[in-house]
Amino acid sequence: MSGWLGKRKWITITLFLLPTIIAILIFNIYPILLNSYVSFTNRNKFHPNPDCDIFLTNLLDPLCWKAFEQNAPRGIGQPYTLAEPLFSNYDTLMGKLFQPEALIAVLLLLITFLPLFGANYLGKRQDRKINSQISKGMVWVIGFLVTIALFFLLNVPEAISKLMQTGDFIVVVFRTILFVALRVPLTFVIGLALALILNSDIRGKTFFRVVLFIPWGASSVAILMALVWQFLFRQQGTINQLLDLIGINGPIWLNNPILAFGVVVLADIWFSYPFFMVSILGALQSIPGELYEAAEVDGANWWTQLSKITLPLIRPAVLPAAVLTSITAFQMFGTAFAITAGGPIQGAGKPGATEFVMVYAFKQIFQSQNFGRATAFAVLVFIMLFIATLYSLRVTRITKGAYE
Amino acid sequence: MKRKTKPIIRILQYTILVIAAIYAFYPVWFAILASGRLGERLYTLNILGMFIPTEWTFENYRVMLFERPFLTWLTNSLKVASITTIASLLVATSAAFALSRFRFKGRQFFLVLLLAISTFPGLLSLVAIAQVLTALGLYGTHVGLILAYTTGTLVFSTWNLKGYFDTIPIDLEESAMLDGCGPLQAFILIALPLARPALAVTAILGFMAGWGDFVFASVLVPAPDSMKLAVPALYALANSMSVPWGYFAAGAVIVIIPTILVYLSMNRYFEGGLTLGGVKG
Repeated sequence: MSGWLGKRKWITITLFLLPTIIAILIFNIYPILLNSYVSFTNRNKFHPNPDCDIFLTNLLDPLCWKAFEQNAPRGIGQPYTLAEPLFSNYDTLMGKLFQPEALIAVLLLLITFLPLFGANYLGKRQDRKINSQISKGMVWVIGFLVTIALFFLLNVPEAISKLMQTGDFIVVVFRTILFVALRVPLTFVIGLALALILNSDIRGKTFFRVVLFIPWGASSVAILMALVWQFLFRQQGTINQLLDLIGINGPIWLNNPILAFGVVVLADIWFSYPFFMVSILGALQSIPGELYEAAEVDGANWWTQLSKITLPLIRPAVLPAAVLTSITAFQMFGTAFAITAGGPIQGAGKPGATEFVMVYAFKQIFQSQNFGRATAFAVLVFIMLFIATLYSLRVTRITKGAYE
Repeated sequence: MKRKTKPIIRILQYTILVIAAIYAFYPVWFAILASGRLGERLYTLNILGMFIPTEWTFENYRVMLFERPFLTWLTNSLKVASITTIASLLVATSAAFALSRFRFKGRQFFLVLLLAISTFPGLLSLVAIAQVLTALGLYGTHVGLILAYTTGTLVFSTWNLKGYFDTIPIDLEESAMLDGCGPLQAFILIALPLARPALAVTAILGFMAGWGDFVFASVLVPAPDSMKLAVPALYALANSMSVPWGYFAAGAVIVIIPTILVYLSMNRYFEGGLTLGGVKG
């Protein structure tokens, strides 16, 4: 806009951005700095106080700021100092990852999944050719078969269990990735199926649409609804009473690691499928009906129509949504915290079966008060999320072109 | 195009829809049923009572509304969430205006920086935020909580609004400026009314950030009872052994049902008000 020029323009811009900048500085950038610094110290419940003579501590810790000295209550205990050695918090979390044994395990995992990446690459190349010899599906099937073969040949389960012994970081992150890998595709399939049905000329569409939309509303008070989900799966909850009715003695769901994991996934899908459903429904409505008519004339069956028309055309709308929900799912906290609180426990000092990234961080900070280790964990998670967000930006930018 | 769907497919479609509808609605229905039941437990051993209201009483609601500080919690939540909404709308609109209507050096950088720092999970910066608020003397107050929430919603709101403002042609404002409006006046009079869907979505998501949050509220305002917000207070109620579950259920229903109704009535805005390329959640 050419309304203001030169100095006046800059003053205007600064004034309008100033509140945002101040807020971001205090509540986003400062916490990141303090977090990164604390991750190199031994701050915990025995060493809660700052030693204001140390450089950086006196700058970053509010307890050392002159203006706030009276306001700040001090805990009882020793002052915290820089960790010795400096990276020891990171070392406890994932130190053993850099030993030869663990590195070999990582290598094995990479080799196992290489065929899938290869299939992806080849499939794209085949797509570009006009008369390809091998179909894209064939490439994928071969890729999958090779992966499965490698999975057993290279003894991947053992490699994974070796990695699990390298520290809490890999355990928690691996489990969270497993959660995301289950939750996001399932949510997508459910959302797609419901959107396809609701997009047809079925009767009572409006009613079902409203009912199916309910969980989205409830998801903004997620922690309370998650408690309700917990009640459903208690030992004498609805599910077990129903099982009792048909003569099955229901398990204690939340005490079994695998079942508890499943319950958390089920409850989290409940919160998140409406978002997919609505996104896909919107995308479906923008597909012109003539495409299907033409396909019908050519004798395409339901599956061909779905895979050749519907899925490619909703991809630009769904892909960014999928990447972003993956990032949100990775940071899921409320559902697991309210349903299992990270449990069931798998031995002293070990993360529980549903202790996902945020639950682990929360417990380290607020229950064990292991600030040093928790902040080191936070820095590692931040790096992962940062990369994922950059990737999501790329995906969004690529798919944006489809609309213009 | 009209074509007959085979009956077998229709039956399959309805089966899926009915199962999904039960899945979607039962947890909420369960909470409603439990809120009308007396007794120490949330569940009843009468299996029929799990699905239809075999007994119903408003006793739990009466106790929650008149004998517990529940109304205070609700008022606190409403207060915090409303002020958060207004503050985040004001701050985000002004930032989005600058980012959308001016071309300046560092604009792209600022947008990406916003996104980058927002990837640091709020929960993990909670200790630092609590320390800053303590230093400022705002720990344990609603003002501190509102500041934290407002910043928490800022990145999403700014991106979403900026994305929507970008889709509104600037020509309209330029012609108003030819008629003697200033840039800001033109923006407020012409672009803002057109951006109503995006403003509505931003407002509702800002409101929900304060209304439904658990972690920030429970850490930053831990006590006393009269200061607590509804969601963490109800959570604490559910986890205390001495309180009948029916009270929790009644409180939860009072919080959840209006929330669902607001979302249902905002349904159409969600499809139009979230901008492409913006951050969706």
